[in-house]
Amino acid sequence: MIPELGQLALTFAFVLSLMLGVIPLYGSYTGNERALMLGKPLAIASALFAGLAFAALSYAFYTDDFTVINVASNSSTVLPWYYKLTATWGSHEGSMVLWVWILTLWTAAVALFSKQLPLLMQGRILGVMGWIGVGFIAFSLFMSNAFERSLPYFPAEGNDLNPLLQDFGMIIHPPLLYMGYVGFAVSFAFAIAALLSGKFDSTWARWARPWTLAAWMFLTLGIMLGSWWAYKELGWGGWWFWDPVENASFMPWLVGTALIHTLAVTEKRGTFKSWTVLLALATFSLSLLGAFLVRSGVLVSVHSFATDPSRGLFLLVFLLIVIGGSLLLYALRMRSVRSQARFELFSREVMLWGNNVFMLTATLVVFLGTLLPLFHQELGLGSISIGEPFFDAMFFYLTIPFSLLLGLGPWVRWKQQKWQPLIPPMAMIAVATLIVAVGLMAATQSVQANVALIGLLLGAWVGMSALGEVGQRIRQFGQGLAGIRKLSASHYGMTTAHIGFAVMVIGIAMTTTYSVERDVRMQVGDTVSLSGYDFTLLDLYKLDGPNFGGEAADLKVERDGRFITNLHAEKRFYTIQRTVMTEAAIHARLSRDLYVSLGEALPGDAWSFKVQVKPFVRWIWLGGLLMAIGATWSLFDQRYRRKVTRRLKVPARNEAEVAHA
Amino acid sequence: MRKWLFFAPLAIFLAVSVFLYTGLFSDPWSRDSALLNRPMPEFDLPDLMQPQQRWNRELLTGEPFLLSVWGVWCPTCKAQLRFMTELREQGIPIIGLYYPLPVDPAFGDHFSLGQLQRDVQRELAYFGDPYQFNILDENRRLSFDLGVSGSPETFLVDADGTIRMHHVGDMNPRVWRNLFATAFEELQQAALVYQEVKP
Repeated sequence: MIPELGQLALTFAFVLSLMLGVIPLYGSYTGNERALMLGKPLAIASALFAGLAFAALSYAFYTDDFTVINVASNSSTVLPWYYKLTATWGSHEGSMVLWVWILTLWTAAVALFSKQLPLLMQGRILGVMGWIGVGFIAFSLFMSNAFERSLPYFPAEGNDLNPLLQDFGMIIHPPLLYMGYVGFAVSFAFAIAALLSGKFDSTWARWARPWTLAAWMFLTLGIMLGSWWAYKELGWGGWWFWDPVENASFMPWLVGTALIHTLAVTEKRGTFKSWTVLLALATFSLSLLGAFLVRSGVLVSVHSFATDPSRGLFLLVFLLIVIGGSLLLYALRMRSVRSQARFELFSREVMLWGNNVFMLTATLVVFLGTLLPLFHQELGLGSISIGEPFFDAMFFYLTIPFSLLLGLGPWVRWKQQKWQPLIPPMAMIAVATLIVAVGLMAATQSVQANVALIGLLLGAWVGMSALGEVGQRIRQFGQGLAGIRKLSASHYGMTTAHIGFAVMVIGIAMTTTYSVERDVRMQVGDTVSLSGYDFTLLDLYKLDGPNFGGEAADLKVERDGRFITNLHAEKRFYTIQRTVMTEAAIHARLSRDLYVSLGEALPGDAWSFKVQVKPFVRWIWLGGLLMAIGATWSLFDQRYRRKVTRRLKVPARNEAEVAHA
Repeated sequence: MRKWLFFAPLAIFLAVSVFLYTGLFSDPWSRDSALLNRPMPEFDLPDLMQPQQRWNRELLTGEPFLLSVWGVWCPTCKAQLRFMTELREQGIPIIGLYYPLPVDPAFGDHFSLGQLQRDVQRELAYFGDPYQFNILDENRRLSFDLGVSGSPETFLVDADGTIRMHHVGDMNPRVWRNLFATAFEELQQAALVYQEVKP
């Protein structure tokens, strides 16, 4: 009964989305205010019904309703209750319901929190969101029904959830990632609405900015959590794999980052107009492409869902309509638009343009690396594979000029900057950079290796420059607390995100250079030494979990005879899915991780162990976290809220100029 | 001129979607085996049912045949047994290469040939037996040398013991018709000619 209600709710959400796609858009062309006003209630109702559908599916999982095929193949009675709930989005079908719900939630959020938008604009945006909703809900309903029953013959026990997904990281990784992917639909809808209206003044950019920042923040967190999850759950200590699905999430992130930066240019300076619109379209298009790559089976990946060409075909047609249609609209509308603002070669505009060049080059590298094998095969040139060395090398060379530019960028003024005034602060930052880099080198007792040194220098350069710049701005605004308070939230946000980048670069450079690992055979009582740490195997014993059995090992870590920590590593055997999982033991500190995983049983009561010491690996995720915090901080900028009251008095166009004159 | 530049994103996207479209209908797992047109690797392995009988490469040559890598633990292998039995009835020689699952003594599993033979017999009796005989790939070494990445996989080997075709995935009428049928007939013809010429 409940699953049928869920399906019914999803069908209602479909109809409501369809109405949302038709009525406000109709209103925007006929000037029918009542049609435009309907946008908000329709968006909210659609989100409510999609939420009901998701709740119904979760309920089916929670109550082990194995008559529902999706539940039977992705859950079991012995699964702990919280994993039963997260199994809801462990499959393609279930995750589509979540995806749809999140999409309708974003739509409702736009309807609720965009009071300052002109009704006409709001109607267009909601209309576009409505059509995107129609596409995805139709995909969920007709191509991948999560509520399908297998009556009258249903299994008494389910197939269990893939053990890889039985982890805390997995509970929040997909929802966050979807929040990011789908959130870019909002920027996309803003851009389409701007295209439809034919007005590209800076207002649309200012309205789109907080939404883009929010989506970007979620995507950053989602990717970061995915990396952290892979690190601890796959059992060999890698944190990024250049897997096609990771790349699929990385591409919208890169273009989204470029978009955040050009939105600033378009908002404040009124230039880069057509470019910003194109980036807004591209960011969501790459999110859609990612969804297509993961769910259609054109690429081989550890993440892909089970595949079916008809699903892929549906998504491809959807892609053609959404991306192709929007790019066509773009080409037709943009031919007549001109950016007028002038700027010199050395100016903030050019710096941000440089950011875009690097972001897009990086995107191109990822895009080609991911899709070239497919192109190659389809052209009949045989199969090739592009792996880590290609990406690593390309990103290494891209990071160097990018970081140098990033250190300089925030110091440079809009329109025109003279060289001379920047020389003293830059020289001071360069000195600070050297001190910090050498200090870190000394503190970690690392000597050789150019890559690490370059990474430290670049990271320190970006970090010092960001700190120096924020310090200088504060001083400009006034003494002490007054200056600190006066600086805008979005400035602090930017600085935090840039420092996050610096921290991440340092983390990556140090981890890749100085990680050490050993594969050893150990019996109880054996000790192995690595990087000055002594790992002693204390005990080996059998495990008995709810849906798994296996073996566990307790270890003790000492350094120079001083006790550091106890470690507990497991090798689990999930009985229903008959798969083996490695639960690594990790002891995390800011300066290093100790990472021990169980390998195979060896003759004579011994096991093989992989023991690793990974310096600075936490900095990678800390950097990502700082970026997300930076984006959140920027969201609290007064600019995004003060407008509500002011725009009642001032007509939209003048206001933009007043605000940033 | 500059105005047409705005159509560039659309053009690029359309070009990419052509590849995405064709990619939908081709199997991403299919990849050209590195062993194609190379001789089958050397091996010396026991028969699954009569372990005292041992097989090697020379014993298999003489006529083209299909080498099918499979196991009772693999549901798709089960599904293809019926069609492959039809092939056998048409006179296509099919030799099985049995891929046993790795045994992990840590979990109390231990390898029992008798149990495996009973499982195989039950399955073949139930779904159909396409195999002339089965070679037991004890250490999965031959599968490794053949570049097997999953089950089922099917190789077409010619009369000289050269690998002519490698298919990953199940054998069904469509795969047989589109990929194997013609190639197999040609190899059969070639083998006949070869035998006639041979003194």
